[in-house]
Amino acid sequence: MPDFDRRDFLKLVGAGAGAAAATGCSDHVEKLIPYVVQPEEITPGIPVVYASTCRECPAGCGLHVKTREGRPIKLEGNPDHPVNRGALCARGQAGIGRTYSPDRIQGPLRRNDAGELEPIGWDDAIELLASKVRESSGRTWVLGADPGPTASDVVDRFLAAVGGGGRVLYEPFAEEALVEATRQVFGVASVPLFDLSKADIVVDFGSDFLETGPSSTEHARQWAEARDVAEHGDGGGRLVYVGPRLSMTASNADEWLTARPGTEGILALGLARAAVDAGADGSGLGSLLAGFDAASVADKTEVPAETIRRLGRALAKAKGAVALPPGVALRSRRAVHTAGAVLVLNQVVGAVGGAMRVPAAPERPVASYREMLSLVKAMQDGDVGVLLVHDANPVHGLPSTAGFAEALEKVGFTVSFASLVDETSERVDLVLPDHTALESWGDAAPRAGVRSVVQPTLRPLFDTRALGDTLLDVGRAVSPQAAERLPAGSFRTLLEQEWADVGLRNVLPAGGVFSAAPASSPGLAPGAARLSVVEPKMTGSGDFTLVAFPHGLLWDGRGAALPWLQEIPDSVTKISWQSWAEISLASAERLGVQLGDVVAIETSAGRVEVAVYPRGGIRDDVVAVPQGQGHSVGHYASDEGQLRGVNVIDVLPAGGVDESGGRAWLTERAQVSATGASRRLPLSQFSDNKRARQLGEVVPLAALANGDGHGTPHVSAAPKEAGHGDDHGGHGGGHGGGHGDGHHEIREPYDPADDAYNDSPYRWGMTIDLDRCTGCNDCVAACYVENNIPVVGERETLAVRQMAWLRIERFIGEGTPDLPVGRAHPQVNNEKLGDVDVRHSPMMCQHCGAAPCEPVCPVIAAYHNEEGLNGMIYNRCIGTRYCANNCPYKVRRFNYFDNQLTKWSEPMRLMLNPDVTVRGQGVMEKCTFCIQRIQSARQGARDEGRLIADGEVVTACQQACGTNAIQFGNLKDDDATVSRTADDPKRGYHALHVLNTRPAITYLAKVVRGPVEEPS
Amino acid sequence: MTPPPAMPAAAAMTRGAELPDSQTNRDILAVMGRPSLGYFALLGLCVASVGLAAAIWIFQVYQGLGIGGYTHPVFWGIYIVTFVFWVGIAHAGTLISAILYLFRAKWRNAINRSAEAMTVFAVLTAAQFLGIHVGRIWKSYFILPYPNQRGLWVNFKSPLMWDTFAISTYATISIVFFYIGLIPDLAIARDRSTGWRKLLYTALALGWQGTTRQWKSHTRSVLHLSGLATPLVLSVHSVVSWDFASSIVPGWHATIFAPYFVAGAIFSGFAMVLTVMIPVRRIYRLEKYITDYHFENMARFLLLTSIIVSYAYGTEYFIAWYSGVEFEKSAFWLRAFGPYWFSTWVMIICNGFIPQIFWFKKARTHLPTLFIVSTFINIGMWFERYVIVITSLSREFDPAVWGVYTPSFYELGILAGSFGFFAMLFLIFLKIFPVIAIAEVKELDIHHKAAHDDPKVHGAWAEGAR
Repeated sequence: MPDFDRRDFLKLVGAGAGAAAATGCSDHVEKLIPYVVQPEEITPGIPVVYASTCRECPAGCGLHVKTREGRPIKLEGNPDHPVNRGALCARGQAGIGRTYSPDRIQGPLRRNDAGELEPIGWDDAIELLASKVRESSGRTWVLGADPGPTASDVVDRFLAAVGGGGRVLYEPFAEEALVEATRQVFGVASVPLFDLSKADIVVDFGSDFLETGPSSTEHARQWAEARDVAEHGDGGGRLVYVGPRLSMTASNADEWLTARPGTEGILALGLARAAVDAGADGSGLGSLLAGFDAASVADKTEVPAETIRRLGRALAKAKGAVALPPGVALRSRRAVHTAGAVLVLNQVVGAVGGAMRVPAAPERPVASYREMLSLVKAMQDGDVGVLLVHDANPVHGLPSTAGFAEALEKVGFTVSFASLVDETSERVDLVLPDHTALESWGDAAPRAGVRSVVQPTLRPLFDTRALGDTLLDVGRAVSPQAAERLPAGSFRTLLEQEWADVGLRNVLPAGGVFSAAPASSPGLAPGAARLSVVEPKMTGSGDFTLVAFPHGLLWDGRGAALPWLQEIPDSVTKISWQSWAEISLASAERLGVQLGDVVAIETSAGRVEVAVYPRGGIRDDVVAVPQGQGHSVGHYASDEGQLRGVNVIDVLPAGGVDESGGRAWLTERAQVSATGASRRLPLSQFSDNKRARQLGEVVPLAALANGDGHGTPHVSAAPKEAGHGDDHGGHGGGHGGGHGDGHHEIREPYDPADDAYNDSPYRWGMTIDLDRCTGCNDCVAACYVENNIPVVGERETLAVRQMAWLRIERFIGEGTPDLPVGRAHPQVNNEKLGDVDVRHSPMMCQHCGAAPCEPVCPVIAAYHNEEGLNGMIYNRCIGTRYCANNCPYKVRRFNYFDNQLTKWSEPMRLMLNPDVTVRGQGVMEKCTFCIQRIQSARQGARDEGRLIADGEVVTACQQACGTNAIQFGNLKDDDATVSRTADDPKRGYHALHVLNTRPAITYLAKVVRGPVEEPS
Repeated sequence: MTPPPAMPAAAAMTRGAELPDSQTNRDILAVMGRPSLGYFALLGLCVASVGLAAAIWIFQVYQGLGIGGYTHPVFWGIYIVTFVFWVGIAHAGTLISAILYLFRAKWRNAINRSAEAMTVFAVLTAAQFLGIHVGRIWKSYFILPYPNQRGLWVNFKSPLMWDTFAISTYATISIVFFYIGLIPDLAIARDRSTGWRKLLYTALALGWQGTTRQWKSHTRSVLHLSGLATPLVLSVHSVVSWDFASSIVPGWHATIFAPYFVAGAIFSGFAMVLTVMIPVRRIYRLEKYITDYHFENMARFLLLTSIIVSYAYGTEYFIAWYSGVEFEKSAFWLRAFGPYWFSTWVMIICNGFIPQIFWFKKARTHLPTLFIVSTFINIGMWFERYVIVITSLSREFDPAVWGVYTPSFYELGILAGSFGFFAMLFLIFLKIFPVIAIAEVKELDIHHKAAHDDPKVHGAWAEGAR
């Protein structure tokens, strides 16, 4: 779709509306329904919201798809859904882009004799595939992720009907090891579920549960609940993180144990032993724990014995301790035993049946990497006649040494059902594009007790067909016998049958059927005692252990096609658009490399060259590279057809398998050497040294509890006039370090008398609780999508010209105002191994009461409105950019190019939020506090002749936040949540208070809980 | 303002005392004669650079300001730097014409015409940067307070608004001042030219006949305009300095900015006059009219303003330290030792140290030294603005979003074009208008003769003449 004119647009609007009016009647094609016959449920200007399910990862979060005039414009969490309770992670937020991606395959394609993919009609395509399936005589295989219970059922029925060879489930981050470990330890082959909401100690063995864990949104919510300082005077739950690098999850921990990678299981048993020694119940485990005394564990893991003993005592006394098994990055060839050891620790600390539940069996089949390898072998041997690939990109996701791409050539006929072009769909003989999740029917059952429905929210934009329907049609065309064996009707009919017990239509409003999972607390199985927890053997040689961790936003790489996930900086390194290799500062010095220098990482499986990011927060013997990049196909995923970043999977051996047949990621020793080359990394944060300035503040728990000194708000008695700020001029400079020595005390609570306009009943304000903020970027993604913020691409990111209205700043400790002598670049990374003093601090327009940006605008494009908002009139702006210079928070963004025209590839323009002005070249923009949402609430309130009630306006960032870190509302309403939370004399502070800008945003300082202490 | 110093070498410094008027006319008008090949080459170079800059500008309007080197914390780049630079250059002309006129510093007469011309051209060059700098040039008329149906008005609180008025007022006054001063000379040119020039000068001379009445009106006009222009010399660059000083940016927010900028402007303006007039005098053999004495006086001015500017540099650093404000301290530390250390030291050396050579009379009267030093001052003053604008913005309050700005090829092209534009106008001026105020030089001559006769007439001059 090279040109998309107004007429096409209107057609789609109309068509989309038609689709919404008659959801699912996809057999009946209406090109255009004019609004003279207005769909009953659509009022122009009023959004219609549909419940659905997010398909970006297997967690299965509930969605509320907000549509306007028949087009989805925003994905939000479904508040009724038990998994995410209304929040939605950045990956989910960005998932809307899949439907509107410029990478969409717009109709069926077949490979012609010249080897090029060319369009083909659906009928011909189905006939072609049917004939190939017929010819393959039972050698038809299906490969893909779990598409949901009903679609999965259709796949199985199709294979049965046509007499196919078989089916292989492929999910790169599947939980095989954990299932096997659970079987060995508890005798039940299932995936344990964790509930952290009541935990008082969480020991995370590198699961990175806040970012890339099995259900990050859910766990983040529970974790924040467990640590709510308002609820828990003692600071609530503590987090102990075990892992070789300071991941985002680690940066939120209270204590970080930098165990040698691979020894997590040993440490888990060491902690279990220490807990048993301190009085925990270790019955039946005596023999297993025998060799794991603190001293020997300390020796193997490099975690001090005293720490192990202290934590053991704390765990023994804790009421709700829980340990999380290793995530992808730390799954070695002995992952089953490591996970088993963590489960044993859970048994010892009494988490089983409480914070950890063991369902009877996994709700959905678990993918097996070993089967995947067998399939590749079969393909190579020519035993596969037809291969159907859906919901998967194994060419990118499997190591190149696995030879999947070459094996594809040996298969008689290959078919992809991809909606977006990827490395796999580029290589197949036939592409039968599936609808995207927003266009399809379907269902998901992420875990016991959760049945979630996927419903279409717009008419398919292109000539695509649902996987289920395609397979049914192909099956019917293969032979009359096969047709008989297949069910009648369309995929949707089958879905209705699947949901017949409750009625599909009945569950649509809620988005599914949710019930409490049947709890089971199995006892220890005899296998538990037979666990053999030893350090895994690594292959290859070198000074480093290669840790290939999932990218917080791109995950296994499926997010790479979504522009926001590429552009939003990584939570830890603040790098976007590129791969990087993390090595320690000492390693960097040893190798003679600096930030951006390219190093070669060599393992037994291959060699890869990538720019380094030296940091303090990583072990000296580890090199860590994120997965997810290294695509060669895609508008955003690749760099104009060239590789964007590197695919670290390519240096992992194909045969990295653990005892369960699961995929092992932590298998390689690596040699790292400087190549002499260098490249600029798109790094969007200059320094993590906050120079003791009033940003990202912390307060020690002790100060919070006893309310002395630190607690009392130190509001100056001086009149609140300009110059007041100067009274504190030296404040920032005076404090060199130490936690919470009280910078934030100099807060001035909101006083309506300060307002320029005092006749409005509203003064919009916000509180941001840094103690709840994990730095996860969910709010950033939500802001991008809600406010039509353009994505500028790698080149402009290198020039630091991203348009994000909201960014997460990451500071390490108090920082130091010391100035470098000479012209050395300020230290970019001030982390220290084992130190977790990281402050994530969201920064957006503070909507100052005395805003420096307003008086300097010559044309009053930046102005103050009567409700305290800093207005920004795009049409009036002439682009002098003085406002941005004068903004101390640097939250204003300038359109250096016509980003809307150049950066919104077709058909992405269809997802623009019609309530938000699209900004053109040469104007300034910034956070508006989601003024469109305020307006929408105002209209509702005005209709009812009342004021806007508290909670009626929910900003996009607030909505997305899984931990409720953001509160928004009317500061003039004393009962409003925002007023109550802002009125926190112990933790509340204003960013850069000394400037006397009187911001509308009150930050609540992060609480420093310190290392886990033994409860007294 | 110090009175013109004593002139011991009076005979050397004044033009030949006994030159007949007709020769004065011939000498000065000779400059306007047939241009040489070198002239055309130089003009061609200037036109080419202006053409390149225009092409870049059109490209920029089409593409967006992103073709510049802007980065997140640095929203103002070398367009603003160069704008301030040219506004500064524009100060010498008015200072020489108006203030020195009011102070009756007669030595100004030889250079005032070219200085005024430079003022006009520099203001015109500077004014263009306001348009080049903004994001939406096609909407830039919004900045004018014109009545409209939508009731939109401008923000008189904004220093950019003041700037608009200051620059346009200054441009108007300097153009009028320049023109009024030209009228008698245009009449001379009219009387001696033919062809299109005759037509042009006839129109521009406004029927000047040199009658007593006309002279009386003329003298009055110049006096009044001098009175009007004098406060402008101080106000324009004060207002430009408030573009920065009224912000909260560390490194900008300083009360010293107005006098600091005015001194800097005069400093750079005189330096530019020297840089331009030394070659002009040599090429067109105007040694009789523009003497070493004139240059020496300008060198004294450079020395004075250099000391003022250096004092301002010192004050800035002192206050940054003395205030105890960490933001200020780090901003100034990073100025000197951060990524922009180079520009800072260029500024300090060129503006603070090199002009100290003018303590020595030999340096003041040695033309090559004058030329080289004044060129260094021009460079130093451009870097002064670069330091102020860029380094301050790059290191503000939030260390997470500090950044480094590097000008792009396009910006440098427009910078080069601005010099080309200024030089182009000046070259054209050389050939169209008398480069020295003929009438005033003659007037000087009359006074000079009178001084010989009566020492009480015009004391300073006479005193010098002895």
